[in-house]
Amino acid sequence: MKAIEISGLGKTYKGRKGTRIQALKGLSLDIMQGEVFGFLGPNGAGKSTTIKALMGLIRPTAGDALILGERITSCTARRNVGYLPENPSFYDYLTAEEYLTFVAKSFDVKGNLLEQRVAESLKLMELWEARKRPIRSYSKGMVQRVGLAQVLVHAPEVFILDEPMSGLDPLGRALVKEIILDLKKRGKCVFFSTHITDDVEKVCDRVGVIVSGQLQALDSVENILRSGLEGYCVQIRSGVKRLDVFDGFEVLRTHDPFVEYMVPAARFNEFMALVGHHSAEVMFVETRRKDLEAFFLEIVEKGEA
Amino acid sequence: MLNLVEITLKSILRDRVFHGIIFSALVFLLIPSVASLSMRQMTELSMNLSLSLLSFILLLLALFLGGTHLWKDIERRYTYSVLTLPISRSSYLVGKFLGIAIFIFAVACLLGLVAAGVVVFSSGIYPPERPIAWDNFVAAVVLDALKYILVVATAFLFSSVGTSFFLPVFGTICIFFVGSASQQVYDYITAPATTDISLFTKKAATVVYYLLPNYSAFDYKVNAVYGVPIAGSGLLLTLAYFAVYALIVVALAALLFEKREMN
Amino acid sequence: MALLACLCALYAAIIVPFASYMRSKPFAEKLGTLPTVATLKFMSADQKLFVGSSLVMKVIIYFGGLAELAKNRIIIPPDYPAMSRTIHAAVKLDPYNIDAYYFAQAFLTWDARQFTIANDLLREGMKYRTWDWYLPFFIGFNYAFFLKDFDSAAQYYRKAGELSGQELHISLAGRYMQEAGQTDHAIAYLTVMAKGARSPMARKTFETRLVAFKQVKRIELARDAFREKHGRLPSSLHALIESGYLADKPVDPYGGEFFIAADGKVGTTSKFAFKGDDKQPGNKGGTKP
Ligand SMILES: Nc1ncnc2c1ncn2[C@@H]1O[C@H](COP(=O)(O)OP(=O)(O)OP(=O)(O)O)[C@@H](O)[C@H]1O
Ligand SMILES: [Mg+2]
Repeated sequence: MKAIEISGLGKTYKGRKGTRIQALKGLSLDIMQGEVFGFLGPNGAGKSTTIKALMGLIRPTAGDALILGERITSCTARRNVGYLPENPSFYDYLTAEEYLTFVAKSFDVKGNLLEQRVAESLKLMELWEARKRPIRSYSKGMVQRVGLAQVLVHAPEVFILDEPMSGLDPLGRALVKEIILDLKKRGKCVFFSTHITDDVEKVCDRVGVIVSGQLQALDSVENILRSGLEGYCVQIRSGVKRLDVFDGFEVLRTHDPFVEYMVPAARFNEFMALVGHHSAEVMFVETRRKDLEAFFLEIVEKGEA
Repeated sequence: MLNLVEITLKSILRDRVFHGIIFSALVFLLIPSVASLSMRQMTELSMNLSLSLLSFILLLLALFLGGTHLWKDIERRYTYSVLTLPISRSSYLVGKFLGIAIFIFAVACLLGLVAAGVVVFSSGIYPPERPIAWDNFVAAVVLDALKYILVVATAFLFSSVGTSFFLPVFGTICIFFVGSASQQVYDYITAPATTDISLFTKKAATVVYYLLPNYSAFDYKVNAVYGVPIAGSGLLLTLAYFAVYALIVVALAALLFEKREMN
Repeated sequence: MALLACLCALYAAIIVPFASYMRSKPFAEKLGTLPTVATLKFMSADQKLFVGSSLVMKVIIYFGGLAELAKNRIIIPPDYPAMSRTIHAAVKLDPYNIDAYYFAQAFLTWDARQFTIANDLLREGMKYRTWDWYLPFFIGFNYAFFLKDFDSAAQYYRKAGELSGQELHISLAGRYMQEAGQTDHAIAYLTVMAKGARSPMARKTFETRLVAFKQVKRIELARDAFREKHGRLPSSLHALIESGYLADKPVDPYGGEFFIAADGKVGTTSKFAFKGDDKQPGNKGGTKP
């Protein structure tokens, strides 16, 4: 089942003096229920524009989108969506507890369940101690945590998060990643934008790269990582008398009595055969590949060219 | 929606608006001594001054709350988090409006009680020639509250399109003055004795008169202060006028707000 | 800290002369030029009653201040046209304000001697204060005492009697409807006014006038006794004192000198008003008692 269906979405902002900024150019994208989707792109690429359009904050100038089968123009499309804005700000005269209660009530969560969910999400985001203080007195990272808590409090099916990791400390980042993986396990859909490729690599099923309002790449993380495989780094002990049998391979490092060779993926079997034949001792094998960041930079360069 | 009304009331109370009101309500304590300057109508003067002060406080509240409340939500980017909840923008706007309206009404009732206390105190010192028309007093306070709720509605209308608080605040002030005087101008222009005004101007003035809120209709101070009887049917018509006009303005504001971009 | 102390000292040095400058500003300047009534109505929006009563207050306080000064022998002529303008504007904003009518009656008649203006204003007020006997009572008095229109006076007195339910007003009118009864009439009127006056200041104004009229009455009684005995009018006030009809010289609280005119009428050089009043325009009508 499709959780989010974006078809030909376009947005042109009208600037001052009649200037027009084409922030989004015919974006089409389907995201499945149970999928964690990373939305990558450089600054000003149109990530937030896409998300704001999905949430009904701005009206797209072209195209349409559905969330769980409902048109985004209707407020019922948001009934099962948890949204975290970028640099969020919440009614800061309320305490975290009050704000979460307000959000949960808006999603028709009632009674005991409401109290339980509020308490759970406060504890999960480590805001329990501060729950009786007005949000006004929170630090930036704490506000971000409130943002995550208010997404979790009503347990939606679809999560739309605009830079969920921004402003968080390493512990917080790890926590968010853990939460996302947990949501994935429970079959939820998570659609989040970020600049940090590492986060995508760790938690996402699929990734889309947007540059200047256009989707430049869309693939599963696994495929990208696999296609980026360059070869292996193999270390052997130089107890072997005749090292020159490996002359065809690039030496990465020698550290007597160990030698490390760079072995291209295509020649790995050949290399291992030589090792067996000359009864060399393999200390370890390490995969060498282009990471997502390199992939991302490549696409951005291509997209901007 | 109730949820939003509650949040709005909380926001007003936590903004220490109430402290400001209590502070300005201290002026009520001065009224008896000022009224004692009157030569023949101390009770009437105290009621006059009390109702005037009440009106003034309500005007400030209506301008301040009506003119800045929506703007603040947009300016501080609260709208990103609130308007993306599964509530329509219309119910958001109506909820906010109801919250402020309830607050204004409650303040009017509270200050009305204080004003009544001042009047009772003054009449104890110098008994009035005619009995105090308490029913008219209540009518004056309630209609005053309704008037300022209507002012909030117009402020919301401006807020729904304005990007700063200048438009809502100054627009509302302008409409307030013009709406308070429109009846007078209309009466003058349409009087049979007025002949030096072209037919077109008369028609235009009539159209403007019908379009603008008629705030002077809600002014029952004279009836309260001097015990001038109030026509029941007129009162009912005024209430109906309020209900319909406020609904139209709020509906229009909601419509415009629905169309608005949040960026 | 030192800077703040310096500024405070500076403020203390400046505030006293500033306050005395503000105090000595003439009334016209203090009141400012009043905007037109239409502008005032527009500006005051839903505070018409408040603006109306504050205008009345302003005039009352101004006049009270002058009376206070006059007591200390500092005579500043009141600006009657400005006062009249202000009161007229005030009743346009609050046509029910009895203070305005009451005060207008007090200064427009005795001091400014604008009887017709006063009566027009009061008649306008009667349209609103339909229950109030004071307004027809004032009009009746003005007709009888100042304008000598006894028919109109009787008509308004009757109206006052109907409204108040007090026989007094009707009978009071009937009894004194002639020139000879003027002084008694004034004393009766002033007694009513002084009794009803709420503020000490207003009461003082009426009482001062009442004192003057009681002196007039005393002189009139002495004069009548003299005429009875000698068959002619006394040549002067001095003659009355000389011949023992007056025990002591009557003192005019307005600072004038009493005299007996050739036709026997008792008058005073102050014309029952503080000095400077007759410079005011429109000071033409009315017979001095
Ligand atoms: N209200 C607006 N008016 C005009 N242009 C806008 C407006 N909002 C965004 N833009 C433009 O649209 C483009 C996309 O902006 P968007 O906020 O979607 O970028 P983003 O991908 O979220 O960037 P970032 O990573 O910095 O958050 C940018 O060029 C931006 O200048
Ligand atoms: Mg962004």
